[in-house]
Amino acid sequence: MWKLLGGLGLAFAFPWLLLVVLPYVDQSNAKPVAYAEEDEAGGYTAYPEAGVNQFGSSNYGAEVYAAEGCAYCHTQVIRPTYAGPDMWRPGWGGREEEGLARETRPRDFEGEPVAHLGYQRIGQDLSNVGYRVSSRAEMHRHLYDPKSFDPDSGMPAYRHLYRFDAGSGEAIPSGRAEALVDYLMSRRKDAPVPASLRR
Amino acid sequence: MTVQPATEEDLRARAEIDRSARFPVMFFFTSGAAWLFVATLLGLVAALRLRLPGLGDEFGFLGYGRLFPAHMAALVYGWAMQGGIGVMLWLMARLTRNPVRNIVAILVAGHVWNFAVSLGVLAILAGFGRSLPWLDFPAWLWPMIAFSYVLMVAWIVPMFRFRRNKSIFMSEQYLIGAALWFPWIFLTANFLIDREAAPVMAAGASAWFISNMVYFWMAPIALAVVYYITPKITGRPIPSLAMAQFGFWTLAILAGWTGFARYMGGPFPAWMPALSSAASIFILFAVIATAINLVGMLRGCSRVWEYSPSLRFSLFGALMLGLYAILAAASSTFLFGKHLQFSYFVSGLDTLAVYGFFSMSLFGAMYFIVPRITCSEWPSGDKIRTHFWFSVYGILTLLSCMLVGGIAQAGTLADWEQPFTTAYVNTAAYVVGAVIAWVLIAFSNFWFFWQMALMFVGRGRKSEGPTLIHQEPGSAPGAKEAAGIA
Repeated sequence: MWKLLGGLGLAFAFPWLLLVVLPYVDQSNAKPVAYAEEDEAGGYTAYPEAGVNQFGSSNYGAEVYAAEGCAYCHTQVIRPTYAGPDMWRPGWGGREEEGLARETRPRDFEGEPVAHLGYQRIGQDLSNVGYRVSSRAEMHRHLYDPKSFDPDSGMPAYRHLYRFDAGSGEAIPSGRAEALVDYLMSRRKDAPVPASLRR
Repeated sequence: MTVQPATEEDLRARAEIDRSARFPVMFFFTSGAAWLFVATLLGLVAALRLRLPGLGDEFGFLGYGRLFPAHMAALVYGWAMQGGIGVMLWLMARLTRNPVRNIVAILVAGHVWNFAVSLGVLAILAGFGRSLPWLDFPAWLWPMIAFSYVLMVAWIVPMFRFRRNKSIFMSEQYLIGAALWFPWIFLTANFLIDREAAPVMAAGASAWFISNMVYFWMAPIALAVVYYITPKITGRPIPSLAMAQFGFWTLAILAGWTGFARYMGGPFPAWMPALSSAASIFILFAVIATAINLVGMLRGCSRVWEYSPSLRFSLFGALMLGLYAILAAASSTFLFGKHLQFSYFVSGLDTLAVYGFFSMSLFGAMYFIVPRITCSEWPSGDKIRTHFWFSVYGILTLLSCMLVGGIAQAGTLADWEQPFTTAYVNTAAYVVGAVIAWVLIAFSNFWFFWQMALMFVGRGRKSEGPTLIHQEPGSAPGAKEAAGIA
């Protein structure tokens, strides 16, 4: 019996340790990497730069994103070209004109509670949506009335995050809506990666 | 070699075990069946919402992003896990010939579990979910889930320790593995996500959790059922114990490595998804070994499945486990995976695991166990037949819609010059198909719940012979004996 239990434990302990615990420890202890001289830092000071993934003063926006289940239809993964066609879609990989578009890297989510990599891709990938949407007002309109941008859109309208003011005929965003827009506008994952990390 | 007929003493011991298991196991099965019905309805509304995004926009709880995780949580924690725990308790008691003890503790924990799952599903609908598939419950809930699991399942360890059989049965081995592995997986994933120290690993852990739940918890329980029920019904022992052991250890050693392939090409060191992919492929050896044994146990008795609901459901479940393993292995290679990743295929695969494979195995076990512990027979064979065929048609429709729809969706998405919404518009028919499939499944599960509730309140049929799918067993050798009709 003890031999069996030991076997069961060992069979699980190996992958548990090597595939989950050690990579976890490794990632949670990682320090920002400074750019070398030959890197084109493009105004960034280090990778990942402190505060680059911050959205407002708290993680509230990420919580709203999670609570509304956005990750069930939207991914935040740009795969390299050998693993999928993501880089070809205009604007998905980041600022193409500046030559900054790239695939998602392991440390792009530093400072966030959870990387919402996603489940299905029924809606657009949101890795760099902060660049594609020009203003907060436009993002609010996307959430309040998605079909006004594309009548074929399958996205539900998040009316419950807004209060419709009949007097002015305007939708007033709630705190949750503002936090969600904070989070979405901070999706700008194309900071240059130092050569030392690219290998 | 044939199975020894039971002596008078054996029968008395079995009756005592069945009596001891009655209350906890019936509690888990009945509340599980109720959860299954709820989960099916949530799945139906979620599929409907996917097609009609404008429906009920004013209400947050009607969003697809809340309904779908609520559906999955109800299906996995409300139905699959409760049903699985009930099967574990009864099967371990029967195999080790020890009655179920500590019934009060088990029942209290069972109520806590149901309370926790209700709270969790409501919390997801109310907007406190985590957007992590299968781990959507808010962070404050998992200690309650883990605690009540331990209080329900821990008792099978002493049962196993003081078993009456000298050698260890295959099914015991699977059950003890499943019982011990789950808390480890569950606590690891939740701790890691709660610490919020490595965001990417949190996403990875959730993918790892899904795959581990299937291979480390659901598959062992389903295989324990298959290895127990099939010889009981066909009267043939497991042909090759060595093969069975090979299957067991292949699964045990490889299962923990799977899962990360879901994010291949994603922000992980490339070796992690690569290892996961290799493990998913090599697990097919375990499937082959089990299939060879299963065919051996059924040889010459192939018509028994026409009459025995237990065998029919659990064999269909085993078949779907094989299909799941094949599809999971295929989609973890770049060849297929780069197209199928992030498509409807992913959710189709998860549904295949929980409904197509595990639920069908559970139904098989329940059709076997419930008459024994309630000392009455299922009220209607016709309803069992309805349950089987509507479930099979429902799940096959759902799978083909999600799997083929996923391929269609991914194909459209790969053409980057097309507007993004084309993929959504092109796959509309598949989503409508999924809605229809959920209607079929809801219909079948309503009858399952109805019959289970009748058994629970003691309104089963009092009869000498068991309820069969067809009333008159045919002339197949062994069919009548297997069905208990002399």
